[in-house]
This record gives sequence, structure tokens and C-alpha cells, in this order.
Amino acid sequence: MKFESKAVMLVLLVAAFMALGTYFTMIVPLMSKELNTATKDATPYTELELKGKRIYESEGCMYCHTQQVRNLLAETKRYGMGEEETFKRFGIRALIQAPPSQPGEYVFDKPHLLGTRRAGPDLARVGGKYDNTWHLNHFRDPRSTSPGSFMPAYTWLFDKNGQPKEEAIALVAYIQKLGTNLKWREEGVEQARKLAAAEAESGNANVAAVNGAEKQ
Amino acid sequence: MAEPAVKIQHEDRSARFFMYTAIAFFLITITIGLIMAIKFIFPEFLGGIGALSFGRIRAIHTNGVLFGWLLAANMGLAYYVVPRLCGAKLFSEKLGMVTLALWIVILLAAVVTLAAGDTQAREYLELNGWLDILVTIAWVMFAVNIFGTIAQRTYNQMYVSLWYLMGTILWTAILWIVGNLPVYSGVNDANVNWWFGHNAVGLIFTPFGVAMAYYFIPKSTGNPLYSHKLSIIGFWTIALLYIWTGAHHIIFGPIPTWLQTVAILFSVSLLIPVWTVIANFFGTLRGKWAQGDYIVKFLLSGTVFYLLTCFQGPMHSLRSVNQIVSKTDWIPGHAHMAVFGAFSFFAMAGIYYALPRILKRPIYSDKLGEWHFWFSFVGFLGFSVSLWIGGFLQGLQWMDHTISFLDTVKTMYPYYVVRMIAALLMVSGQIIFAFNIYKTVRSENAQLAMA
Repeated sequence: MKFESKAVMLVLLVAAFMALGTYFTMIVPLMSKELNTATKDATPYTELELKGKRIYESEGCMYCHTQQVRNLLAETKRYGMGEEETFKRFGIRALIQAPPSQPGEYVFDKPHLLGTRRAGPDLARVGGKYDNTWHLNHFRDPRSTSPGSFMPAYTWLFDKNGQPKEEAIALVAYIQKLGTNLKWREEGVEQARKLAAAEAESGNANVAAVNGAEKQ
Repeated sequence: MAEPAVKIQHEDRSARFFMYTAIAFFLITITIGLIMAIKFIFPEFLGGIGALSFGRIRAIHTNGVLFGWLLAANMGLAYYVVPRLCGAKLFSEKLGMVTLALWIVILLAAVVTLAAGDTQAREYLELNGWLDILVTIAWVMFAVNIFGTIAQRTYNQMYVSLWYLMGTILWTAILWIVGNLPVYSGVNDANVNWWFGHNAVGLIFTPFGVAMAYYFIPKSTGNPLYSHKLSIIGFWTIALLYIWTGAHHIIFGPIPTWLQTVAILFSVSLLIPVWTVIANFFGTLRGKWAQGDYIVKFLLSGTVFYLLTCFQGPMHSLRSVNQIVSKTDWIPGHAHMAVFGAFSFFAMAGIYYALPRILKRPIYSDKLGEWHFWFSFVGFLGFSVSLWIGGFLQGLQWMDHTISFLDTVKTMYPYYVVRMIAALLMVSGQIIFAFNIYKTVRSENAQLAMA
């Protein structure tokens, strides 16, 4: 029989092919435990953070910022904690690599905001990187904190006197939440300290380069 | 594609009004694209207003060109092509006009809601829930009209364009409904989003565009279809293989490795349907390259861009390439080659071919048609080539974490300038297009012909 001259048969076969691919690439992952189990330190969004997430969505932030550290060495280093930053905040000179993003970090995201394009940097590990004032200045006037950036100024999130509206405060709260479903900063620093101590004890400088905590 | 024994009088009302609507929305939404390109150089351009900020108008641009222009234009062309391939009148012109009215309501409501920031925030699925339902209703109405016409056909044999069109109607309906179900969260939501997003290109705009090209290439060149066998292979392989590829948007991301690998394998296998279709198009175009008018130019360059974009796609999915180009501006360059360079070119050729036959008068100016082609062609090349070079360089810089992100942004600056100028050419071309069509519809000639 020629399917191409029987409209009903053609449509049925096309639907069957579609169902096959959809089952394996969509339904199977939907039912997988790995993709639906929260990480150990994952917490749901607070009301304020959730409000901030909605601002992030309606302002279309996800069109220019991804929220996924890909499983590539360059990205775990780029989006990790640089040596200067770690020293300033934790008093130890170490590059703490950001862990690649894990499915369990996203279970409270509805909708997801993984994004596909980086006109600006990835934000999956940005929570805790800057203080709230930095973020507010950045939203009010991006080029004051990041010269050369072409991010728009979100002036409508501030009142006439330049004071942040509730929306801006919520947005910052959401941004600060990003990446905190893994305690990677704390654990990374702890590990770096242990390595430094072990190093001091043994006098061997080579111990350091292990497991995401890389002394430079 | 034999002509029917008794000449049927086609009314073509739905066809032509869908085309006019599509062109009007194209002008609006491609201009928004230009505004976005300007904002990369002058971030304060039209600044300070939420409704005009990049994050809001980006969704208007993508949804507008996809659903307002390309899908609407193809629907108009389908209302023209299907009755002729079936040797029957369109099932219902009245239903077609109601569909159009609903489509316009949807488009206008989409612009307003998206500008207000009312969005589902999932790429290409941004429209809010009640608009999703209206789109579904409109699509069912379109499906009834097309399947109704096919059911009344007077030829037993169905031409390849009809298979693709029936496939498109089914794929679109399932993708749209399943993709919009409000039940997903986390990485599964991302996976479903890209199951939809990638197949929106592969199983809505690709088969629709291919269906139209399969009709207009033989018609406008006067050559018979090169190979029936190739068209069968092309159709069934795309139906089997495309649906598996969505996860290639999240390679190295937080989804299981097996899912990434499956997506890569099927992405590479897409070379089969693409190359069979391309071989068929080139075979049908043979001997007509040099003497081609702007209609053949659009079809020929559209075919070349289809070949190139579908060579890029499988290559991007390979892990070694993906780690450099993914998330960079290379990708918008690639996406515009598919949607603008290939399928919009097919649709433009279709409108230039169909409209004079509907209105029974020639296109107002063939010279303007040529200008439309060259502006679109050169503009598109400038747009995409600049993004490919810049995006690739930025991707390489991202591989070195000692280069700050802001420095990699500065690398893009000259390429963004070229892209902005190229976008201006693309918009200019479409202004010529709209003007030419407007004059054709309103020309003095018309009154003569009708008198």
C-alpha cells in the first residue's frame, strides 16, 4: 500500500513516529528520579524571591543570561570564585571552581530559566558574588558597575529619587538566591582550608590541586 | 500536478488576505529586530521605557516573525496551493476569513501582552494561556479547511507538498498543545521547552517551507519534479528523525548524558532528509540558474541557505563544536539563516508567484522585486557572517577564564555594528517588498483589468 496516497494512513504513521521520539526524549526523562530529586541543600523560593523571579521573567532577563554552568573546565573556573574574591571574603588565596549545574538545583523552577544565549554572563552561580547595593546600582545604571556592558538600565524599577521599588528589591533577592541550592562557596573554602593545612603540615605544595579547590 | 479537466474558479480570498496580513506584520516585527540590533550599540536607545526594553521586544520580534509573518504567509500560500493540487475549491472561504480574523486578534493581543511583560518566559512559548487556546482554535480551523479540501480532491494521487502540509498540521498541533501544558518544572521544563522549540523550526517551519518550495520550484521554473523517490525518502526520514533532537540545546548542561548523546546522533542523521530534499530541489532547478528572475533567485538562494543551515545544525550538535559556539551570537546567525534565509525566501517567492495569478495582473515592478532580493540577500549575509565570526571568537575567549566576560563583550562590538547595518538593509528590502505588493494590489492596472 502506498501511504502517500492515503491521507488517513499518512497522518497515523506520522503521529506514530512522533510518539516514538517523544516517548524516549521527553516522557522517559519526565519520569526519571534523577531529574526530579532536589539537591541536599535545595530550598523553595521565599515569597519575595518568587516575586523577583517573576520580574526576571517579565523583563526577559533569560534572553541574555543563561542559568547553567556547563560541564566544561573553563566554565567552572570562569563562574567560580576567583583568587582575589576568595581572599577578600574568606582570607585564603584559592580559586574555588563552580560546580557544573545539576538537575536537582532546579526542581523549584517553574518555569525553568536555563536560557540559551549569553549576551551577558551566566547567572547560575551569581548568588553571593556581589552585595545587594552592587546589584541595585547595576540595575539602575549598568555601566556604573560594569563599563562596556550594553545591558539596559532598568530605571522603571526605581522611583524618582533613584530609590529601589519593591520590584527591584525582589529581583535582587532572587538573584542572590541563584546557585545557593548547592553550598559550593562554603564547601569549596572549607576544602581549600583543609588542603592548606595539610600542605603546611607536610610541607608539600603539590597536595593542593585536588577536587575543585586549586591553589595558585 | 496535472491541471483539472474542468477549469475551477478559485476565489482565493483567504489566501490573499493572509498574505497581506503576513507582510504587514513582517514590516512591524522586522523593524523591532532592527531596534534590537541598535540597542547592542546604543543601550540607551529608546531606553527608560519598560515596554520598549530589549527583554520585552525580543519576544515580540521572535513570535512576530515566526507566527505573524512566516506562519501566516505559509497559511496564505497553503490556501492557494492546496485547492490547485486537489483540483477542488477551498473547503470554506468563510472559515478561512474567520481564521484570519482570529489570527489578527491573536497577533495584536500578543504584542500588547508581551510588551506589558505578560509572558510564560519559555522561549517561543511566551504567549499567555488564553492566547495559547485561541491559537489552538485557529489552528484547528486551518486544519479543517485544509483536510476538508483534501477530502474533496478530484485527483487520487497526492503531490508531495500535500504530505508535508498534512504532517505540518499534525506536528504543529501536537507540539503546541503538549508544549504549552502547564505541568513541567525544572530541567524537565527546559527539556520540553526545547522539544518544542527545536521542533517548531524542524516540524513546523521546515516542512511548511519545504511543502511550498516543492510546489513553487517546479511551477516557477517550468521543470518537472526531479525525483519522486527522493521526495518519499525525504519526507519519511524527517518524520522519523527530527523529533529526537531537541536536547541538543542543552549539551554539557544539567540533563543526562544519554539524552544529550541521543540528541546528537539524531541531529547528525538529519543530513539524510535534508540532503535528499536539497538534491531534489537542485535537480528540479537544473538549467534555470542563470536565467532566473527574482522568484527563482529567492528559491535558489533559499535552497542554498537551507543546505547550509542544516549543515551547521548537525555540526553544532557535536560536542567539540558545541562547546565553542553554543550560547554565543553564532546561534542567532544560524537561526536567521533557517527562518529568514531559507523559509522566508521560499515564502516571498511563493507570494510573488501566487499573487499575480490570484489578482490576474502582473507584479507592480519586477525591478523592485530584484531590489527586494538583493537587499534581503546582502543584508542577511552581513547579518549572519558578522555574527558567525564574532560569535566564534567570543566562544573561544570564553574558553579562557582569565579573560573577563566584559572583555569578551567588547570583542563583539565591531561585529554588532556590522550586524546593525546589515539589519537596516534587511528592513529596507522588506519595505520595498511591502511597497511593491501594495502597489500591485492598488494599481491602476487593476481597474483596467476589472473594467
